[in-house]
Amino acid sequence: MDLAQLFDPAIFPVLAADGLTNGAVYALLSLALVLVFAVTRVIFVAQGEFVSFGALTLASLQLGKVPGTLWLVLALLAISAVVEGISQLRQGQGRRAGMVLLSALGISAGLWALLTWLAPLKLALPLQVLLTLLLVVPLGPMTYRLTFMPLREASTLVLLIAAVSLHLILSGLGLAFFGAEGSRTPAFAEGQITLGQVQLSAQSLVTILVSAVLMLALYFFFDRTLAGKALRATAVNRLGARLSGISPVRAGYVSFTLAAAIGALSGLLIGPSTPLSYDSGFLIGLKGFVGAIVGGLVSYPVAALGALLVGLLESFASFSFSAWKEVIVFGLILPVLLWRSLTTRHAEEEE
Amino acid sequence: MKRTLLFSLTALLLSSASAEIRIGVVISATGPAASLGIPEKNTVALLPKKIAGQDITYIILDDASDTTTAVTDTRKLIQDNKVDLILGTTTTPASLAMIDVVAQAKVPMISLAASEGIIAPVDTKKRWVFKTPQTDAIMAAAIVDHMAKNGIKTVGYIGFNDAYGEGWFAELQKNAAAKGIKIVGSERYNRTDTSVTAQALKVAAAKPDAVLIGASGVPGVLPQKALRDRGYAGKIYQTHGVANPDFLRVGGKDVEGAILPAGPILVADQLPDTNPNKKVGLSYVNQYEAIYGKDSVSTFGGHMYDAGLILQKAIPRALKVGKPGTAEFREGLRAAIEGTRNVIGAHGIFNLSATNHLGLDARSRVMVVVQDGTWKLLK
Amino acid sequence: MKLGSRTWLALAFFAVIALLPFLLPTFYLTLLGNVGIYALVALGLVLLTGVAGSTSFGQAAFMGVGAYTSAVLCLRFGLSPWLTLFAAVVVTGVVALILGAITLRMQGHFLPLATIAWGLSLYYTFGNAPFTGGFTGLTGVPPISLFGMALNTPSRFYWLVWAVLALCAWVTQNLLQSRTGRAMRALRGGVTVAESFGVNTYVLRVQTFLLSAVLAALAGWLYAHGQGFINPTPFGLSQGIEFLFMAVVGGSGSVGGAILGAGLITLLRDQLQNLLPKLLGQSGDFVTPVFGILVILMLQVAREGLWPLLERILPRPSQTLMPGTERLPIHTKPASGEELLRLEGVSKHFGGLKAVNGVSFSLNSGEILGLIGPNGAGKSTLFNVISGVLPPTAGHITLRGQDISRFASRQIARLGMARTFQHVKLFPEMTLLGNAMMGGYTRAHAGVTRSLLHLERSEEAALQHAAAEQLTRVGLGDVFELAGNLPLGQQRILEIARALVADPTLLLLDEPAAGLRLGEKRELAALLRKLQGEGVTILIVEHDMDLVMNVVDRLVVMNYGEKLAEGTPREIQQHPAVREAYLGGAA
Repeated sequence: MDLAQLFDPAIFPVLAADGLTNGAVYALLSLALVLVFAVTRVIFVAQGEFVSFGALTLASLQLGKVPGTLWLVLALLAISAVVEGISQLRQGQGRRAGMVLLSALGISAGLWALLTWLAPLKLALPLQVLLTLLLVVPLGPMTYRLTFMPLREASTLVLLIAAVSLHLILSGLGLAFFGAEGSRTPAFAEGQITLGQVQLSAQSLVTILVSAVLMLALYFFFDRTLAGKALRATAVNRLGARLSGISPVRAGYVSFTLAAAIGALSGLLIGPSTPLSYDSGFLIGLKGFVGAIVGGLVSYPVAALGALLVGLLESFASFSFSAWKEVIVFGLILPVLLWRSLTTRHAEEEE
Repeated sequence: MKRTLLFSLTALLLSSASAEIRIGVVISATGPAASLGIPEKNTVALLPKKIAGQDITYIILDDASDTTTAVTDTRKLIQDNKVDLILGTTTTPASLAMIDVVAQAKVPMISLAASEGIIAPVDTKKRWVFKTPQTDAIMAAAIVDHMAKNGIKTVGYIGFNDAYGEGWFAELQKNAAAKGIKIVGSERYNRTDTSVTAQALKVAAAKPDAVLIGASGVPGVLPQKALRDRGYAGKIYQTHGVANPDFLRVGGKDVEGAILPAGPILVADQLPDTNPNKKVGLSYVNQYEAIYGKDSVSTFGGHMYDAGLILQKAIPRALKVGKPGTAEFREGLRAAIEGTRNVIGAHGIFNLSATNHLGLDARSRVMVVVQDGTWKLLK
Repeated sequence: MKLGSRTWLALAFFAVIALLPFLLPTFYLTLLGNVGIYALVALGLVLLTGVAGSTSFGQAAFMGVGAYTSAVLCLRFGLSPWLTLFAAVVVTGVVALILGAITLRMQGHFLPLATIAWGLSLYYTFGNAPFTGGFTGLTGVPPISLFGMALNTPSRFYWLVWAVLALCAWVTQNLLQSRTGRAMRALRGGVTVAESFGVNTYVLRVQTFLLSAVLAALAGWLYAHGQGFINPTPFGLSQGIEFLFMAVVGGSGSVGGAILGAGLITLLRDQLQNLLPKLLGQSGDFVTPVFGILVILMLQVAREGLWPLLERILPRPSQTLMPGTERLPIHTKPASGEELLRLEGVSKHFGGLKAVNGVSFSLNSGEILGLIGPNGAGKSTLFNVISGVLPPTAGHITLRGQDISRFASRQIARLGMARTFQHVKLFPEMTLLGNAMMGGYTRAHAGVTRSLLHLERSEEAALQHAAAEQLTRVGLGDVFELAGNLPLGQQRILEIARALVADPTLLLLDEPAAGLRLGEKRELAALLRKLQGEGVTILIVEHDMDLVMNVVDRLVVMNYGEKLAEGTPREIQQHPAVREAYLGGAA
C-alpha cells in the first residue's frame, strides 16, 4: 500500500525534489571529502562541523552578536603561529619566526577589530556571508596545520582517529559557542516556485543551482587550472608529485581550505530550510561520506551521484517507513558498497 | 563483619566531621538532550545554599545524554562524594537506569525527566525515586482534552525517533483511544534531520483534523514548517518540550498557531493574580534572567527549581531523624519528600504520597498558543 | 612448564587486580568494572583492527546485540543469565557472520564505512524492534549469580568482569602466538603473501571478525546484567568510535594495549570531569573538546599508541626455541628428472594487451630453470599466472600432472609450490623466526580453537624447529632479530628461507637479485648453487644475466610476451634472436 502511494503523481515529484535538494548538499560535501582524502588520506569526518559552523556563525551575525567562531580562529591562529614559529626557529630562521608571530598578531588584531566593529551593525546579508566565510574558511588550513600535518606519514587509521577527535573538539566547542539549540539563517530567495507538478521552495532551487555551479567550478578548477592539476597530481601519486616540485603540504593546505569553504557554503545553503544546531553537521557529513565512498573516494562524478542517491533514498524511505529510515538507508547502502568495492580496483596491499 | 564495622565507623567519623548536606546533580549538559539539561544545570545556582542552618553543597556531573555515563556519575556521587540525594537526570532512559543504583545504595533521587514509568508504580526500588516534571501522561491528557473540546476526530503524529517521541506516542495512543479520537498516521524523524518533507507529506495525505508533533526544542519547528509548506491547514499541537525561547526565535512565523500544554511558569505573567504559581514562577524567571540574561529562561529549569523548593521543606524534617551523611538521614529525607504537602512550585502544587511520587495535578499545566511570536495563555 | 618473565608480569598484574577491592574506594571498582567491559571490546578490536587491519566502528552494535539478546530472554522467559550468555554469543555470532560475509568482501575504506552503516542500522533496530523496550529501554535485567550469590555489588561484579577479561586476554594472547595468529597479522598488508602460503584470507578474516564480535557480545552480556538496564544509547556510533579510540590510544597491536587503552580513556574522562570545572568553571562543559585535544597530541607523540612505549621497559619476550621432539610431515618429492611443471600455450591478456601469449615449456624435478627476458617481456606476469595470483586467459598449467590453471594461489601452495616476491614482502615487526614460520602454514593444521587454548604447542614447536632449520640452512643465524632490521640482501634470503619452510616440491623465485649489491649477489648465487646441490627444484625469473647463467640448468627466454628461445645457458648465449633482443640488434 505504502509503496504504491509512493508513485502517486502528487507525491513522487515532491519526494524526488526533496531528495535532490538534500542530495545536492551531500554531493557538495562528498566532493570535499574525496578531495581531502585523495590528497591527504584523511577521512575527514569533521567536515560536517564546518557546515554547522557556517550556518551558526551567520546566525550569530544576524543577531548582531560576535560569533564564538572568532575566538576559535584567534586561538588556532595563536597556536599555529607559535608552532610554526618554533619550527622556523629550529631551522635557524629566527627572523622568519618573528615575522610569523608578528603577522599572526596583526591578523588577529585586525580580525578582532573588524568583527567587534561590524557584528553589532547587522550588515546586509551578502556582507554577513562574507564575514562568515572569512571566519570559517581559515579553520580548514589551520586545523590541517595543527592536526594532520604533523601526522602526514601516519597510517589512515591514525589519521581517521585524529579526524574523529577533531570532530569531538569542534562539536564540543560549537555547543559552548552557539548553545544547544539550533538556528536558522535567512533564505537567499523567498517564495515558492511551481514547476509542473512540483512545488519547490525558491531556496531549494537556489541550493540545487548553487551546488551545481560549485561542482562545475570545482571541475573547472581541477581540469583547467595549474593549482587544480597539481592537486590532482598529488592525489594520484604523492611521491611523483613531490619529485615534480609539488609540495604535498601545500596541497594539503589547499584541500582543507576548499573543504572548509565547501562545508561553510553548504551550511549557508541548508541553513534557511532547516534549523542547524552544533551537532547537526556530523550526520550530514556522514551522508556525504557515504556518497564519497560510493565513488570509491577517487571519482568525483560517481561520488556526487552516490550522494544524490543517498538523498533520494532517504526521502523515499522517510515517506514509507520513517522510523526505520536510517536502517533502510544504511542497510541499502551495504550492497551498493559491496558492488563498488568489488568493481573498484584497489592499490594492492594498501593499508 | 569486621570490615562492615570498620566501614560504619569511618562513615560515622566522616559524617560527624561534615556539617553540610551534599547533593549530587546529574544533568545532560551536553549531547542530544543538552537543550533541556543546560537550563536545569544553570538553575542549580538558584537553589538554596543553606537549609535549617546546614550548608548545602551541590556537585554537578554531566552525563552527556548517555545512560552509561549517568549510571557511572550516580555511582561516583554516591560512592565517592557520599551524597545524600541525587537530583537528575534530564532524560527518561538514563533516569530509569539510575533507579537500581539509588535503590541499592538507599539514596533518594529526584528525576527531572518526563516519563511516568520512572516513578510508577512505586515498588521497593522506586520507593527512592521522585520526580518534579509533569508526566507526559498529564500533558498528553491536556492535549487530547483540548482536541476533543475542539471537535477533532482524527489526529496524525510526527515525533522524534527516540525515547521522547516514543513516550509521547504511547501517551497519545492511550488518551486518544479514551476520547474516541482516531490516530491516522504516525511518523518519526531524527533531531538532526535536515528535512521532514516526506513525513509531513504522508501525514498530510491522511488528512487528519490535527497533527501532534512530539519533539523538543528547535527541531520541533521543522515538521510544523513542512506541514504548512505542504498546505496543511489543520490544527498543529506541540509538546511542552518546545517551550523555550529558541523555539520562538527560530520558528518565527512558521510556528504561529501551535498549541501546546506547558507548566504555568511559561506564561506566569499572564496568570491571574489568584493563581498561586504566579508568584513563584515570576520569582524564578526574574532570578534566572538576572544571571543569564533577558529571554534566556525556559520551563525546564523550573523543574530543578521545584526540586529545590521541595527540599527546602523536606530537609528540616529529615534532620530531625538523623545527621547528614547517615543512612537514617537519607531514609528520613526520603520519607520527608514523600510527605511533601502543598509545596507551591513554579510548575504546580506538589502533594506527594506513598503511591504518588510526583504529586502534581491538573493545575500543573495550562494550554498555550503561539501568537505574534510569543506564548499566549489559552483561557 | 617454565613461564616467561612476561607471563609472570601478567600473572602479577592480574593478582594485583584481584586484590584491589580490598584496597580501593568503591567508586574506583565501579570505574574499573567499566574499564574491564570496555577492554573486552577493545580486545576484539586488537584482533580485528590492530592485527588483521580491518577498521570497525560497529563493535558497540555487536555489544548491543549480545546485551539485548541476553536481557530480552531473561526478562521474557525468566532464563538464567548463564543460559542467555550462550544465546547472546550465538545470536551475535550469527549476526556477525551475516554482516561479515557481506562487509569483509569489501576492501580499503569501504569496510569502515560499511561498519558505520550497519552500526547505525542496528542502533535504530534496537530502538524500533518489538520486545526491546524501544528507545526508553528495558528495566529489571537480573544480575548474574554464581553459586546462588548475586554478583551485584561493585566488588563482586568487578571480580566477575576481570575474571572474564583475564580469561579472554589469555586466549587472545595464545591466539596471537600461534600459526593462526601469524596468518592474521598477515591479513594486514600482506594478503598476497598469506594466500601464497596457503591461507584462505577471506575465511580467516571472517573468523577474526566473529571472534571480535563474540568478545563484544561478552562485554554486552556483562554490561546488561551489571547495569540492570539497557537502552540503545550505549550501543550507538559514538560508543563504537570510543572503542576504536581505546584500541588506538592503547596500541592496537597487542593485548596489553587494549587494557591500557580502555583504562586510560575511561580514567581520563573521569579525571577531566573532576578537574575541568575547577580550572574552567561550571559555565561550560569542555570534557569532550579537551579529551579530543589530548588524543590528537598523543597521536602526534606516539602514533602506534602507548603500549609500545610501555613495552620498551618491559622484559623482552623469551628468546629460546620451544622444546619438542615432534617434526612436521614431509611432502613426498617426485623422483629426480620426472616432469614437475608443464605450461601449454599459456596466455594472459589485459584487454588488448597480450602480456603473455601462447607460452609453453616444462620443468623437471631437480632442475633449475631460468625465465629471462628484457623489461616488459611478460616474465613477471607469467610468474603470477603460474603461482595462481592471476588466472590465465588461455592455456593449461599442470603441476605433477594436475591441472592448476584455475587454482587460486593458496590451493597451488598446498600442492607444494612456494615463492618469493620481486618487491620483498616481509613482516618487518616480526622476528626472522616468525616470518619463516609463515612459510610452514600448510604443513601445520591447528585452527582457531586449538590455538586459543594453546593445545597445539607440540605442532608449534615442530614449526619453530622447521623454521629455525631453514634459517640456518640459508645462513641466517639470529632468528630472534626483527626482519625490518635486515639489509635488503638478507631480506631476500629470508624470503627464500620462508619459502623453504613450506617444504616445496617447486620453488619459485621472482627476481631475487633485484636491487642487490655485488657482494649480496654472490652470496645469493652461492645459496642457489647449494640448494641445487641438495636437489631443490627451482624456477627463477631474473634479468640479471650473470647470476642466471651461473646457476641454471636451462633457460627460457621471453620477449614481447612470447617465448623466444629455450635451451642451456650456452645455447642461449649463442642464440642470435636472444642476442638481438638483449642488445637491441647491435650484434
